[in-house]
Amino acid sequence: MNAFMQPGFWVFILTMSGIYGIFTLGLQIQYGVGGILNFGHVGMMALSSYTMAILIITHGVNFWIAAAIGVAVAALGGAFLGLTTLRLRGDYFAIVSIAFSEIVRYVIYNSDGLTGGVQGSLAIPVIGENYPSYTDTWESIMNRSREILTPIFGEIVDREFVMAIIVWTTLAILLLFVSRIERTSWARVLRATREDDEVPAALGKNVFRFRLQAVIIGSVIGGIAGIFWGLESTLLSPDDFLTLVTFYGWMILILGGATKVKGLPIAAIFFGILYGGSRFFTFFPFSMLDASERAYVRIMIIGAVLIILMMSRPQGIFGKRQEMVLE
Amino acid sequence: MAEFVQLLFNGLVAGSIFGIAALGISLVYSVLKLVNFAAGDFLTLGAFTAFYFATSTKLPFIVAVLLSMLLGVVISLILEFIIWRKLRKTGAGMLALFLVATGVAFVLRQAIALIFGSNSQKFDIDQIKTYEFLGAQIAQAQLVVLSCASVAITIIALFIKKSTIGKNMRAYSDNPSLASVSGINVDRVIIATWIISGAFGALAGIFQGTVQGQFTSGMGLDLLLSILAAVVLGTIGDAYGALIGGFVLGVVMELSTWDALLGGIPSTYKPVVAFAVLVIVLLFKPEGIFGVKARKI
Repeated sequence: MNAFMQPGFWVFILTMSGIYGIFTLGLQIQYGVGGILNFGHVGMMALSSYTMAILIITHGVNFWIAAAIGVAVAALGGAFLGLTTLRLRGDYFAIVSIAFSEIVRYVIYNSDGLTGGVQGSLAIPVIGENYPSYTDTWESIMNRSREILTPIFGEIVDREFVMAIIVWTTLAILLLFVSRIERTSWARVLRATREDDEVPAALGKNVFRFRLQAVIIGSVIGGIAGIFWGLESTLLSPDDFLTLVTFYGWMILILGGATKVKGLPIAAIFFGILYGGSRFFTFFPFSMLDASERAYVRIMIIGAVLIILMMSRPQGIFGKRQEMVLE
Repeated sequence: MAEFVQLLFNGLVAGSIFGIAALGISLVYSVLKLVNFAAGDFLTLGAFTAFYFATSTKLPFIVAVLLSMLLGVVISLILEFIIWRKLRKTGAGMLALFLVATGVAFVLRQAIALIFGSNSQKFDIDQIKTYEFLGAQIAQAQLVVLSCASVAITIIALFIKKSTIGKNMRAYSDNPSLASVSGINVDRVIIATWIISGAFGALAGIFQGTVQGQFTSGMGLDLLLSILAAVVLGTIGDAYGALIGGFVLGVVMELSTWDALLGGIPSTYKPVVAFAVLVIVLLFKPEGIFGVKARKI
């Protein structure tokens, strides 16, 4: 229970919530505006973080360029997914998008030479060879930021603290950006396609192109989340990118009210506490379980919350019910 | 040649399992408009409960299989009464159904891991005995699974085609409102759908556990994507299409590893092949192999 008292734990929760928040924002623009059910969103995170890590470690590319290329690859992934399957019916797209992210993970898993495979050995230095870690540049940025922030905030400033500030600043900027986008005529057309394809099509709007754009923008945001994920975990493993993660994003999205961005940060923090805090369920009856069993219980709780939420309050805590009806 | 026969046979075995599992998903979709993401975990549940009944209670294996099918039905029906019925009443949309199904999958999978542990299990059957056929090695386990699966497939196909409830099912999935006004008992159709999906999901899981030899609590999830590919390939909601889709995918996935085909792909990439096939088919025929053209956007 002591961990609850330590500020470091809460800062960690804050960082994770922020990364999940950015990730979910990508879903928000796809579903909340365009009504697109993308269940393969985690694939974009995998693409950007692995691209960045591979470029830095095996090709010695500059960190910023590698991160930018990583995000660009995520955008390409979104474009590929959209171009091949966005013409399909909504439920087909949902299934194929899951498959997309699973294939990304499968390829990462099985391409040991390129990605380090399941061990995540990409980031583990080989003795005798001078591989850089992909986080080297980032760590030096963090150290410098720490020196700047310590006089302001005092002793609490550590790596995690700086990370939380950077992640949440990024989330705030992206939230502003997305809420701006959602007031444009582009978003109005997209919202119209969510209810009915034929009216916007009759008005001469290319429904497919609008949806494709939404998927690509969402993928870019998912890609940004992937960069932070890679930097935060410092070691990549294909198991970081299970389909489960996409559903964490969906849970946050629904919790915050899918059609509005303002509930998203709070929902992300709520999820972060549920996710991070449940590992400290050491009290009865959970005390009867060992650590790995408690991990099962944690995912069970998240599943149960998802069921109860969708059954009792599908519009989320902050959402409007009328805007959730998509039938 | 021997390799071709071997792969073809492996493909047929895998395909029969995909087909049975895909049929359950497709049937549930056709009646309830629900893509059951928890279906994979019902396979796992079937394998683990059959294992439990067979090893700890010393029941004959066939009784253990029947008990685990029964359990699959019971859990499917419980979920129908506490979850799906309520969601239908509130008119839940596609997203709500998707997410609740996913939530059910999380709970079920972790419950299996919690109850049966994370170790892999295996059925007490002869894994080594093989027969030689045209140079291929056919395992006894595979042979048993393929023959049992053929019987099961014939039974379900005939049931859907000939029985009153099967006809009602097809009528309801074609046009729910017309079916209800013509006096079809909708609740009975839905319950029958869950019974088929629960029982044959468990059976498919037991078959898969038998063929694989060892299985863990992640077995169903690993299979789910290939099964969903079979469902979509055979046009979602079409029960016979799902069966054929399952066989097509099973055979294609196995044959893709054949050396004679440009060296073949590594067998770990088989699920990728399933989806490559799916995406290619969808690109040229978005309504699935047997589907009727939907309106275009």
